[in-house]
Amino acid sequence: MTARILIVEDEAIVALELGLILEDMGHEVAGYATDSRAALFQADCGPIDLALVDIHLADGPTGAEVGRRLADLGVNVLYVTGNPSMIGQAPPRVVGVLGKPADEVLIENAVTYALACRAGRSMSPPAQLRLLS
Amino acid sequence: MKDNHPLSRPWTEAERLAALRAYDVLDSPPERAFDGLVEIASRVCEAPIGLVSLVDEDRQWFKARVGLDADETPRNVSFCARAVEADADLIVNDAMQDPRFADNPLVTGDPQIRFYAGALLRSREGLPLGTLCVIDSKPRPEGLTETQRRTLEVLAEQVGTALELRRALKAGSHLIDAHRDNDARRDAEDAERDDRDIELTRVAAALAESEARFRAISDSMPQMVWSTLPDGFHDYYNARWYEFTGVPVGSTDGEAWNGMFHAEDQDRAWARWRHSLASGEPYEIEYRLRHRSGVYRWTLGRALPIRDANGTIIRWFGTCTDIEDLKRHEAEREVVSQELNHRIKNVFAVVSALVALSARQHPEARDFAASLKTRIQALARAHAFVRPHTAAAEPTNGDTTLHAFLRELLAPHAAEDGGTLVIEGDDAVFDDQAATPVALLFHELATNAAKYGALSTPDGLITVRAAHEGDSFRLEWIESGGPPIGQPPERSGFGFTLARLAVEGQLGGRLEQYWEPTGLRLATDLPVAALQRRRNAVRPAEPEAG
Repeated sequence: MTARILIVEDEAIVALELGLILEDMGHEVAGYATDSRAALFQADCGPIDLALVDIHLADGPTGAEVGRRLADLGVNVLYVTGNPSMIGQAPPRVVGVLGKPADEVLIENAVTYALACRAGRSMSPPAQLRLLS
Repeated sequence: MKDNHPLSRPWTEAERLAALRAYDVLDSPPERAFDGLVEIASRVCEAPIGLVSLVDEDRQWFKARVGLDADETPRNVSFCARAVEADADLIVNDAMQDPRFADNPLVTGDPQIRFYAGALLRSREGLPLGTLCVIDSKPRPEGLTETQRRTLEVLAEQVGTALELRRALKAGSHLIDAHRDNDARRDAEDAERDDRDIELTRVAAALAESEARFRAISDSMPQMVWSTLPDGFHDYYNARWYEFTGVPVGSTDGEAWNGMFHAEDQDRAWARWRHSLASGEPYEIEYRLRHRSGVYRWTLGRALPIRDANGTIIRWFGTCTDIEDLKRHEAEREVVSQELNHRIKNVFAVVSALVALSARQHPEARDFAASLKTRIQALARAHAFVRPHTAAAEPTNGDTTLHAFLRELLAPHAAEDGGTLVIEGDDAVFDDQAATPVALLFHELATNAAKYGALSTPDGLITVRAAHEGDSFRLEWIESGGPPIGQPPERSGFGFTLARLAVEGQLGGRLEQYWEPTGLRLATDLPVAALQRRRNAVRPAEPEAG
């Protein structure tokens, strides 16, 4: 199943690599956002299944809040960050946290797991994904 | 006013001894007034020994002492006697280097005097009686600070005043006894008592004067200074306290001081202060003190008990130091450290992504790129683990110890479906300088084991064993249960070259590898100092599964 996935990441090169991995998996990149405003704007533009969200964005450490807002809008969220301690409280749609840099296989497994959660299918999570809910 | 000046004419030793004996103080029991002054002198001058020494005909006798058991010594070895004979204060920075004292038995033997500072105690007419002195077993080329020197001088005057007061009070009580015994001589004695009253008034005035000088020193200190009775009742604050808080003088006496601190800090301060009062332990706390502007500023509060010869607490002396700026700098440093940390992590992420993106153009380099990426990730994890933290932001992932570091580093490998990884033995504190080479070493070992060794089969077992042996730290990597080893590989791969470079080149250690029939065994011996440059602390730990 092809999912629409939003990438919220202020480093273009890192975002590009994530995008290519997702496309290799057969998913569609719904958009790239480098700050909180752009991320929430993208969420208004069309249905999104999953967002990969960094904590430090172009407008500061706003990623945690972006993740919570996206989750409230019905988007599942995976944080991809080097600063997992800054996330705090997370609603149920926030699936978990990946350390950064994460390797390709882990990203693929985590995305597959997050989409399974969204579809209500049971699946065991990859070992290196830190679960939040 | 009370003078502490020498007699203006020459004097004889007989005259001096007569003056000393007139005080009727030699061989008297210890008294609080003197004990307290000696204690303050010793603390202010940061010297282990403090004495009120009176120089008698052939001995020096100590009216009060801290840090010394003897209550007298022969006069011929006495430093104080030299001060008295010279009729001047005496400071000896290093007795070993001073021909007058180098062969003195108190220097060559116990208490091994190196530093001596004595301020003369004088009779009212100006004859030297002895000294208030402080003694250290370490030389002090720089001598006393100006504040210490001045404090010693003023305290010596207070000792003199206390001697006068003591004599006057004794004379007064004799007088009252005599008065009861003989009514007929009442008139004459009344006259004498008038004299004594005058004397007492004079002594009291001198005491107040000396007290005023002591307060003058305390008021000139940059810190807030306060003092309490043994039960914790605050009865003195210096000028700086009133200047900082802006409250009326006397308004914080008793227990009202607690109201000056932030509501959130009051219970903690009160509990800690009660604890010190009950236990006699030094008091130390960081709390927010209300500045006269209404703003609370972070303040370091400290207090020490002053004890008499029996060990009973007679007063508490405390200070408050404004540490608001220090606190703010610490917070700012933490922000900079976080920012730097974020940027460094970003660099790792960007380099890692660049490698992956570049490899997409060259499918033949895919394996190469994948292994390079995992090396970069190992370094990124190593960095994240050991980045410097300020005290305010302790790492959330536990102590920075070798075990914790290895668990974090090897977690991805242990998580795969291969064998089991166990970390056991001594743990050691670990810092950022060692992180890169150690991360490289274990990353290469784990990657290799996952491909060919014990992590490539479910039955495989890897034991990482750490042992602290004298000056070296031995780290062993022992594989078993993996595919059988037929023959050692003919040439070692780049991974081992990198591992060897890390251990021998960067950590100054030794690396040996053995291809046992059961699997690879690799041993490294590292100098203890290589693991961390700041402290050396090793502790035993329970074996833990990784």
